[in-house]
Amino acid sequence: MSAHSSFMFSHRKWVVAASLPVLAAAWWAFRPEKLWINQRVNEPAPFAASSDPQPLYTGRLQGEAHQTSGRATVYKAPDGAEYLRLSDLSTSNGPDVHVVLSRSEDANLQQEIVKGQLDRIELGALKGNQGDQNYDVPASVDLRRYDAVVIYCERFHAVFGVAKLEQF
Amino acid sequence: MISKVKLVLALAGLAFAFGLQAPAYAQDSMHQQDNMKHEDGMQQQDGMKHEDGMQQDNMKHEAMPQENNGKAVETGTFHGKVHSTSGRATIYRAENGKLVLRLTNFKTSNGPDVHVILIAAKDADDDANFLKSNTKRVELGKLKGNEGDQNYEIPSGTDLGKFQTVSIYCERFNANFGAAALEKF
Repeated sequence: MSAHSSFMFSHRKWVVAASLPVLAAAWWAFRPEKLWINQRVNEPAPFAASSDPQPLYTGRLQGEAHQTSGRATVYKAPDGAEYLRLSDLSTSNGPDVHVVLSRSEDANLQQEIVKGQLDRIELGALKGNQGDQNYDVPASVDLRRYDAVVIYCERFHAVFGVAKLEQF
Repeated sequence: MISKVKLVLALAGLAFAFGLQAPAYAQDSMHQQDNMKHEDGMQQQDGMKHEDGMQQDNMKHEAMPQENNGKAVETGTFHGKVHSTSGRATIYRAENGKLVLRLTNFKTSNGPDVHVILIAAKDADDDANFLKSNTKRVELGKLKGNEGDQNYEIPSGTDLGKFQTVSIYCERFNANFGAAALEKF
């Protein structure tokens, strides 16, 4: 009886001893504690460019009805003014084409021709259908709400191209 | 008999202690710049990558005052569902041609042996395995933190026309945590 229990005891000890490295290896491989331990860093930008305008939001211009491509970026100048820059822009030329800000979730933007009234903020007439160009953004505009740049033909209510702005 | 048990326990303890080095590293990384050398001593597994880290660190200290004319050349947003990943990846080019990848508003899940790599692909699926698909890659270093802004030096000579996607990649399990397809800024 006592021989048997001592065997059981040492057997259990061996099992425990043998399973420890296995458990340690499994823990090392999966590191489950990382599921709730975060590792936060906050490095400064690689180039100190505080005197230059800083990009705030950016997005790619896309358009199906009228082939539109390029990038729309909203910059903040050192004096606090915000402006929109279109770079590598290429769209079709047209009558009374404007650059406007609208809301990306607006269903009107899914259509080529807007049926109703497009909720929009005017930035100005399109300066050129190709090339880099800048537009002032009124200080009162909330770009988290009006988060889409639209190349919009006022005469025919046609959406030439849309860029959804995302945080830079 | 007892000495054997003791030996096994000692070995288990050693294995455990070996594993513990990594979390110490994980928690120190907030003061990354100061602790870089210290970490190097502790981490024996991947000395190679750490050399990179050292260079990168030195580069930052030297570069900052001089290269104040870095320009964003490419940018993209992260996507990743299994390990939800979000934020922006931007590649800056300094006046002297040096390329730096910067992650901003970045967030991913923490994990073991996670690296930042560039892959030779237009984009990557959320469950991509680059070992299986034989995708070419450029190692940029161990992920410095699973949250926050961070910079990685890109080896000179890297062809950005070929390596078009940034991936947050778990080397241990060959799992893509998240990817950002880079487009011209």
